[in-house]
Amino acid sequence: MSKLLEKKIGTSHLLMGNEAIVRGALEAGVNVAAGYPGTPSSEIVESLSKIAKKMGLYVEWSVNEKVSLEVAAAASFANLRALCPMKQNGVNVASDFLLHLALSGIRGGLVLVSCDDPGALSSVNEGESRHFARLLEIPLLEPGNFQEAKDMTKWAFELSEEIKSVVMLRSVTRMSHASGSVMFGPLPETGRKAYFKSDGFILDLETGPVISAPVGYRHPIQQGKIKKVREIFEESPFNTYEGPEISDLLIITSSACTLYSREAIHLLCLADRVGLLKLGTTWPLPPKLLKKYLATTDKILIVEEVLPFLEEHVKVIAAEEAKEIGAKTFYGKNDGTIPMNGELNPDIVVKALSHIMGVPNEPMAPEYEKKAQLVAFTMAPNREQTFCPGCPHRASFWNIHKALQLDNRQGFVCGDIGCYSMAAIPAGFSTIRTLHSMGSGLGVASGFGKLDMFGMNQPVLAVCGDSTFFHAVLPPLVNAIHHQANVTLVVLDNSGTAMTGFQPHPGLNVDAMGDKAPNLDIAEICRVMGANVEIRDPFNLEATQSTLNQLMTESGVKVLILRQVCALSPEKKGKKKFKMQIDKEKCIGTDCGCNRFCTRILRCPGLVWDKDEKKAWIDEVICAGCGICSDVCPSGAIIREEVV
Amino acid sequence: MENVIKDQKELRMEVRESHLCTGCGACVNLCPYQIYYRDQVIEWHPCDIKSGRCYAYCPRTPVNLDVLKAELFEESLLTPEIGAIKGFYVTRAADISIRKGAQHGGTVTALMSLALQERIIDTAIVADKGQGLLSQGVSLNKAADLKNRGKSRFIVSPNIAEFNRQAQVGGKKIGIVVTPCQSLSLAKMRTKPVPTHAERIDQLTLVIGLFCGWALSWEMLSLLLGREGIDVKDIEGMDIPPSKYQLLQVYTMNGTVDIPLDKVDPACVREACRYCTDMTAEFTDISVGSARLPEGWEVAKGWNQVIVRTELGEKLIDLARSKGILEFHDIPEGNLERLKNASISKKRTALERISASRAAVRET
Repeated sequence: MSKLLEKKIGTSHLLMGNEAIVRGALEAGVNVAAGYPGTPSSEIVESLSKIAKKMGLYVEWSVNEKVSLEVAAAASFANLRALCPMKQNGVNVASDFLLHLALSGIRGGLVLVSCDDPGALSSVNEGESRHFARLLEIPLLEPGNFQEAKDMTKWAFELSEEIKSVVMLRSVTRMSHASGSVMFGPLPETGRKAYFKSDGFILDLETGPVISAPVGYRHPIQQGKIKKVREIFEESPFNTYEGPEISDLLIITSSACTLYSREAIHLLCLADRVGLLKLGTTWPLPPKLLKKYLATTDKILIVEEVLPFLEEHVKVIAAEEAKEIGAKTFYGKNDGTIPMNGELNPDIVVKALSHIMGVPNEPMAPEYEKKAQLVAFTMAPNREQTFCPGCPHRASFWNIHKALQLDNRQGFVCGDIGCYSMAAIPAGFSTIRTLHSMGSGLGVASGFGKLDMFGMNQPVLAVCGDSTFFHAVLPPLVNAIHHQANVTLVVLDNSGTAMTGFQPHPGLNVDAMGDKAPNLDIAEICRVMGANVEIRDPFNLEATQSTLNQLMTESGVKVLILRQVCALSPEKKGKKKFKMQIDKEKCIGTDCGCNRFCTRILRCPGLVWDKDEKKAWIDEVICAGCGICSDVCPSGAIIREEVV
Repeated sequence: MENVIKDQKELRMEVRESHLCTGCGACVNLCPYQIYYRDQVIEWHPCDIKSGRCYAYCPRTPVNLDVLKAELFEESLLTPEIGAIKGFYVTRAADISIRKGAQHGGTVTALMSLALQERIIDTAIVADKGQGLLSQGVSLNKAADLKNRGKSRFIVSPNIAEFNRQAQVGGKKIGIVVTPCQSLSLAKMRTKPVPTHAERIDQLTLVIGLFCGWALSWEMLSLLLGREGIDVKDIEGMDIPPSKYQLLQVYTMNGTVDIPLDKVDPACVREACRYCTDMTAEFTDISVGSARLPEGWEVAKGWNQVIVRTELGEKLIDLARSKGILEFHDIPEGNLERLKNASISKKRTALERISASRAAVRET
């Protein structure tokens, strides 16, 4: 049994932040969860999907974040409790619906969980969802530890139902993916029945239709909710203070930065001089609470990641209360004490704190850093991000790059988000030349594909994954076909949402709860939409490349589906199609005629250069046995033997 | 002058990006980095070897031609106009079926077939019809397979790429039909400028060259033929009769189409050919081209003029004569002089263009 279903009250368990959120939702009696996979949020729906049947939940991986929020909202409209987790850029996708949802209001508790990724550890942006809370006027909660992640999620449902508004709960990578001890509360029997009441008076929030108009009527109501939330937040136990009554410096912080700040105060032994105000309710800010603590100090340091969200809103309150509490000195983003981008860590906060407080901080001798850098540069192996051994994307981009080179018209690839984003770097032969949001590869390519009237004759390619195809590629595909753009779309179909852990998508015949589901055929969809469609196996290098070269010479929208299951997929993992070996007699190594073509250019981690022997060798432990290196070797020195 | 052997990048800058690539194929099939595709050499991936065979074998990287000739030919035979001359003949294949499948007199096909039959060589590399007008080198081991491959399409066939592929295997005696630029690349290989795999060139046994004024760009010729309403699939052959006609004749299934030469030259001529100083393929055993006869073009186009340059070339011609493989025509008076003048004229034009383009580069 999953520990998430533990019934014993008061027991403590080591939970990942995302699991704590799941437990919180279960303790709130959640009924429905819908999301789209995205690091660092994926484990929430993942965990719920595994216990859905046991707990009588409906859980789905929706086609994208906007649809997932719509699905969750429907449950709320029918008086159920619903959870909608997504990563930060998912909120952008959902934001159009979210704007209207904030205005229309909800019925059953509805919590949108956004897991942000400051520092872009597993993203191609470090966008922030916090600003959406202010922009769209909905309450924002940010847990500062793992217990809070659970407790706050549970409370978020109650708050949502109390004010009849969607509530946003924001986590970050270090909160979602780190683990901590969480004490459990009771798991309720929910027994809620779904019924959507909409026959009431049009302006009746409880029984009327759920709509965002008339805006003149609904918007003041929505703003009234925020006013009420502000009062509730004044008393929230999630806003805590630790430190002296009167401090030399007050740190105001939230989320994972609470942990960094506490550690920094401890490391510099400043607990008796520096106060720590940790906020769990970060929009709207409770002004009375802030006034109270601002009055206890002259200097304030605001510790938060990426943009100065807290900083600016605290400053507004400080300005409004300046007459009573006096002028304050602020440290944070705007004066450069804390960096405006990237992830924070205790070291950065220590540096800021030591600078402001004039406390010397030399945890390591300066020579140590120099020595460490020297060792790192000279002794650590030079490893850059790359595709896994046996990854179909390596083969796909090998073919795409070759086809573009042969075509010789300086063609390029427009890309989007997936493991295949790495084709923008040497791992994928630097083939991707534009890289933006989900589906935007084809959207941008559709635009490029109309520029021939301005003299552009470079062939334009776009790539997308199979999950991305359903998420956001259909509208630009319609656009490109309708406008007769000259584009070749390459669908890198590896049979799952591979990057985030093989979550199912509409192209597969199974859903999140493991039930059989009708699968939508990407090739058929493209065909009926009017595109010329070809399907190849990217491991068949020759056929893939020649097909691409042919498609590139044709006008209009062409779709090449490159079908090969991800090397890490559960069905493939550990199974090798070929046993690979190097014929050391034939391997010519560094000579003119090869110049380490396989290890220098193909760069599969399973194919390694032996510096002493000056020959290639197969690292059998990680080689996935895809066999393509055998086709790449100019000397026929890489032998593949089919594993029976 | 010492020849510095540089790398792939320099080769690209000095040759391809300077529009000097002849498409000979010498830099292809030595390694995976260079690929021949649709009349062009493509750099697939960068190679960082400092002295590459690609650079060393390219006929358009610096080399002292006089030194090279002195090394490869009897010095007494060398002429400044058309290289070494051991013999000069007007010939045609005795076998009429060979002549039918050839551009003019079928001499090249007849000699290559003979070399295979007599086991002077075991592999003959000639041009093979590819897609569209594109040609590629093909290796043949039987004399019978050589028939019907002698028609010119005026697009360079990267035969040296095929030589490189065959030479890798080792242990062969290779005969090859080449253009002048290709004959130079093989001559450079024979001097073994890079030690890696230098021995492969020792398999080169017989080189038969083709006289060449210029080759055409595949892309430009395809566009021209399209404009003239000619379907590439219908083309059976092409020829350029003597200069007084000023025509490119395209023989199609539906008859002959005459295209005025001014539509072809310079618009469709491969840029690199405008700077070529060799008309008669000076680094060969035997070089063969069209003949000029007092009987006029209709008769002359069934014959070839042949320059024999080496002992092997002489041996092969003598064998062809004794076996009745070739028929010999009297050499009209002044033919060798006319050939020398034409060759000198090509050299002069190319040198003028080279110095003009150098001056242009200096000005910019």
